Amino acid sequence: MPILEIENLNCFYGNVQVLWDVSLKVEKSEIVALLGANGAGKSTLLNTIVGLVPPKSGSIRFMGEDIVNLSGSEIIERGISYLPEGGRLFPDMTIRENLELGAYPMKYWKSRKATLDMVFDMFPILKERQKQLARTLSGGEKQMLAMGRGLMSNPSLCLLDELSYGLSPLMASEVFDIVKKLREQGITVLLVEQNVRQTLEIADRAYVLENGRICLEGECCELIENDFIKTAYMGM
Amino acid sequence: MSNKILQIVLEGLIMGGIYALISMGLTMQYGVARILNVSHGEFIMVGAFITWMLTTMAGISPLLALIICMPVTFLIGYILHRTLYKKLKDLTPSAGAYEGNAMLISFGLMFIIQSVAQKIWGSSPQGYKYLTFSFKIGKTAIAVNRLFVLFVTIIISVIFYFFLNRTRMGKAIRASSQDPAAAGMMGIKINRVMAICFGIGAILAGIAGSLLSMINNINTSMGMNYTVIALIVVVLGGLGSIPGSLVGGLILGFVGSIVNRIDTSLYMVVFYVLIMVLLLVRPKGLLGR
Repeated sequence: MPILEIENLNCFYGNVQVLWDVSLKVEKSEIVALLGANGAGKSTLLNTIVGLVPPKSGSIRFMGEDIVNLSGSEIIERGISYLPEGGRLFPDMTIRENLELGAYPMKYWKSRKATLDMVFDMFPILKERQKQLARTLSGGEKQMLAMGRGLMSNPSLCLLDELSYGLSPLMASEVFDIVKKLREQGITVLLVEQNVRQTLEIADRAYVLENGRICLEGECCELIENDFIKTAYMGM
Repeated sequence: MSNKILQIVLEGLIMGGIYALISMGLTMQYGVARILNVSHGEFIMVGAFITWMLTTMAGISPLLALIICMPVTFLIGYILHRTLYKKLKDLTPSAGAYEGNAMLISFGLMFIIQSVAQKIWGSSPQGYKYLTFSFKIGKTAIAVNRLFVLFVTIIISVIFYFFLNRTRMGKAIRASSQDPAAAGMMGIKINRVMAICFGIGAILAGIAGSLLSMINNINTSMGMNYTVIALIVVVLGGLGSIPGSLVGGLILGFVGSIVNRIDTSLYMVVFYVLIMVLLLVRPKGLLGR
């Protein structure tokens, strides 16, 4: 059974349809990428999964159970963690407080100290700076904090939106390494990315969204040779 | 000379403390719930009159009355938000329009609460005696009730600080004030947090009212003046900043205390001048971003 299964999803912003019959599957411990141009509907799809945008029709099943109409905190408690684009940290709170808020649902709040240690092991820099305000971090450190915060709810599925956006190539590589590490820890990843080449190198499978429709899907090792991908997204 | 300075400082601390409480309350309501609550002063008046009633009619100690006031004002604020403001928010298409409409609603509430209060408590000044004896430091006589008010203000501020910085709900409130959408993504129930913030704002106003009734006469039209002062403090300290409200409140308390020595009738005038100068020099307020 796939950990996440979306079938014939249709979504609207007001009267404008932004997702058309989108279907996708993510198997356990996979890294699956969602590629596509700006405005293709990638972020909308993630927003719909976590309940921020209600779908018009279609189904979203997580571990076999329908999660449409669940509240944000219920979805987190099921084990889905969403890392929004740009990190969306709380700038005037300390790193530690930002992390704690990742464990806000009562279920995780009680064990937050243990989870915090786990996250600090993974990102030692955060431990060193835990009393600093989030606004004082560099771009790369902010992204680490965002990832750390996303892990505070012990997720089994991480939805990552444009993690590498705005980072230096070096930082971006580091972030992609962390994504691989997530998988080693048994966390399934669905990521939205603009950085197509690096994404295809670390992901197992990918879906390409165009104008709200899935126009291409496949194994990354095949897609990387695909002519459409090469011309449309890698400028070759 | 030192006698006068001590009195000015004490008076500044006492009034500054009360201004800070009121303004932190308004900041909670505006900073998180996005309601510029013009009826804030009416909650002060209600707190004052509940305390007065419990003290004079039920014979309860004003301190106990203050404690009883807290859940009462919280519930009024919480329920108001859950019903009226939440409904309004759902019906208003944009955040900007909601802020405007919410302020209009609070104007309406101001008149409603004031009229109802006048029906119940009349419009003449009321008061009671509480800890009216005084003691002397050097040549300066200090009324015990004023010191007591200062003491309670400090305790409430410390509790409030710990609540915001150390508790789960406090952290959720601060997160919601910085980025409500991201707070929602953390699983924070934003509408509930907003209602709680509105309730906490009402508690702080209620406490301030209780305290004011211990040292001054009260009347049902006292609220407006304090609303204006709270607005000035909030702009002075920086919109949405809790430390700003604290600092701004104390500054205004001290300025008021000095002005009172010179000419009481200039009290509000000086505040307005202060705020105008500040708006020209530093529009975002002392601690605003």
